[in-house]
Amino acid sequence: MSKREILVGLIGNPNVGKSSVFNRLTGAKQRIGNWPGKTVEKKEGWFRHRGFSVHVVDLPGVYSLSAISIDEAIARDFIVEEKPDVVVDIVDASNLERNLYLVLQLIELEANLVIALNKIDLAQSMGFEVDHEALSRELSIPVVPTIATKGYGIDELKDAIISSFENPQPPKPISYGEDVEQAISELVEAFRSDAELSKYPLRWLAIMCLERDQTVASLIKKSSIYDKVKEVLGFER
Amino acid sequence: MSGKSFEALIPERRYEVASKITQRVVKKRETRPSISDALDQVFLHKWLGLPIFFAMLWAAFRWTFDASAPVSDAIDAFFSWLGEIAATVPNEVLASFLSDGLCGGLGFVLVFVGPIFFLFFALGLLEDSGYLARAAFLMDRLMHRFGMHGRSFICMLMGFGCNLPAIMSTRTIADEKDRLTTILVNPLMSCSARLPVYVVVAGAVMGQYASAAVFSMYVLGLALALMMALLFRRVLFGGEPSPFIMELPPYSKPLMRNVFIYMWERGVVFLKKAATILLAGALILWFLSTFPWGAGVENSYAGLLGHAIEPLLRPLGFDWRLAVALFFGFMAKEVVVEALGILYGVEEEEAVSAILANSITPLTGYAFMAFTLIYIPCLATIGIIRSETGSWRWTLFSVAYLLALAYIVSALIVALGHLLGFG
Repeated sequence: MSKREILVGLIGNPNVGKSSVFNRLTGAKQRIGNWPGKTVEKKEGWFRHRGFSVHVVDLPGVYSLSAISIDEAIARDFIVEEKPDVVVDIVDASNLERNLYLVLQLIELEANLVIALNKIDLAQSMGFEVDHEALSRELSIPVVPTIATKGYGIDELKDAIISSFENPQPPKPISYGEDVEQAISELVEAFRSDAELSKYPLRWLAIMCLERDQTVASLIKKSSIYDKVKEVLGFER
Repeated sequence: MSGKSFEALIPERRYEVASKITQRVVKKRETRPSISDALDQVFLHKWLGLPIFFAMLWAAFRWTFDASAPVSDAIDAFFSWLGEIAATVPNEVLASFLSDGLCGGLGFVLVFVGPIFFLFFALGLLEDSGYLARAAFLMDRLMHRFGMHGRSFICMLMGFGCNLPAIMSTRTIADEKDRLTTILVNPLMSCSARLPVYVVVAGAVMGQYASAAVFSMYVLGLALALMMALLFRRVLFGGEPSPFIMELPPYSKPLMRNVFIYMWERGVVFLKKAATILLAGALILWFLSTFPWGAGVENSYAGLLGHAIEPLLRPLGFDWRLAVALFFGFMAKEVVVEALGILYGVEEEEAVSAILANSITPLTGYAFMAFTLIYIPCLATIGIIRSETGSWRWTLFSVAYLLALAYIVSALIVALGHLLGFG
């Protein structure tokens, strides 16, 4: 028996048409509340597709997941703690390069990703031809071209969400260069021996650790392998 | 290993990967230089940019007042008519409540449905066309000089509509100090609730300079916000505002559907407020100004309260009626106008603005407008400051500094006015 309810996190940069996608996906079945303990608005919606009941949570619009602002922390915590079955990242086709930064961070988080390549009409009118199949190959993530304002590609996006749920394929890690990868793999090795830390995506934990992320740093300080980590970070100097 | 730390290296590598992938999957056709770029040549011009921005704001205000006048007149006529009918109700107390309380107080505020919807229509137009983002970009340099973040300006602009969502929008500011500064000065941005007060007072005492006087309130609020931001930066927080990168969406022809939705969503907030807090305000004010029954306004509960506060405000030239109006105005600033409607309306039958014109000088009127602009955030805004800063200390601080600032600025206006021979 497989689970018939799918939890989806909807994420994307500001101004990519995320609300349009959200509205198109869920229609009138929406609820607005607050994130627990926060004053930030939380929008949720539901839709049914191919016998599945899909619960969509609209995450705040963010450029990155560095967890500096409240919005970024909320989006990141949701993905790390709630572990949604599928994460849909809305990417602005007319502004691909900047949007890819968030995609890369979601890959680090080992989210089960689907990309909605939105605003392809705008991109075309600006003279950009985005090859969505090539993009899908580069990232090994399903990419669905959409024009949310006109409802184009929404059914295909729903299909992609279901099939990613049925055959989850964690995206392949993307190399950040030999020097960085060396440090990452040493940290991952160290993290492996700690049961508490093994709950998290280790590669992501290592990258955050190298970026000196405050939240992750305090997590590691409490863990049993803090001394080993300090040793690895010592390479840096 | 290069000399760089991983902290800087990893984001850099992400950008490199993003750039490489983009090059491989995106083809760029040759295109004519876009209209957007051509427009930005003008709107973001080094010298022309700011004057154009202020011209746009001025146009938006003229539109708000002039174009909405027929709507306001119609609503005004409707409530006068309703008030006359209500006054004929046989029960004396009920008649007084319906005609003086509801029609005199609430009706006096509802007249501003016109300007408020028109204001939001203009803001919606500027927003949907992509111009508002340019305004933020233009102001960024100025904002930085005053120790604020460029993003703050967007939050400040929203404050022209309502401080509540404006303060909530500060969440997009990552740096805590930048954010706190922006929250603290946001109530100085003149929200649409204060508009009715300006319009009534300026209309009564400023004659042909009414529009300019109202506009000057917005400029005064903005100037004070910048000054206080600079002060808070220097004295309380220290440090430089973090750098600001923003994205300019391409210009587009405003979609009327979007503009109407923008106007409707925000305008309806005012109507809802009228049905709840403003109605309650009218009720309370009417009760306090008519009871004990038959005592006359001056000896009513409100009159006694006003006389008790009056000594504090006497140096500014405010009488007991203005004192009562300000006292209840913290519920919502529109209540100031309700109070004027009820306090002056109960007493005499003439139009309220005519009585105002007879009983206060232009100088007092102007000082009163400034005081209303600054003096205390409304109840809802105090609530949101509390929840967004998570601290009662900062909330009380904002209330206290705004009260003090209101007093100082109004006193300066009065003193300067006397010096120049007005008043």
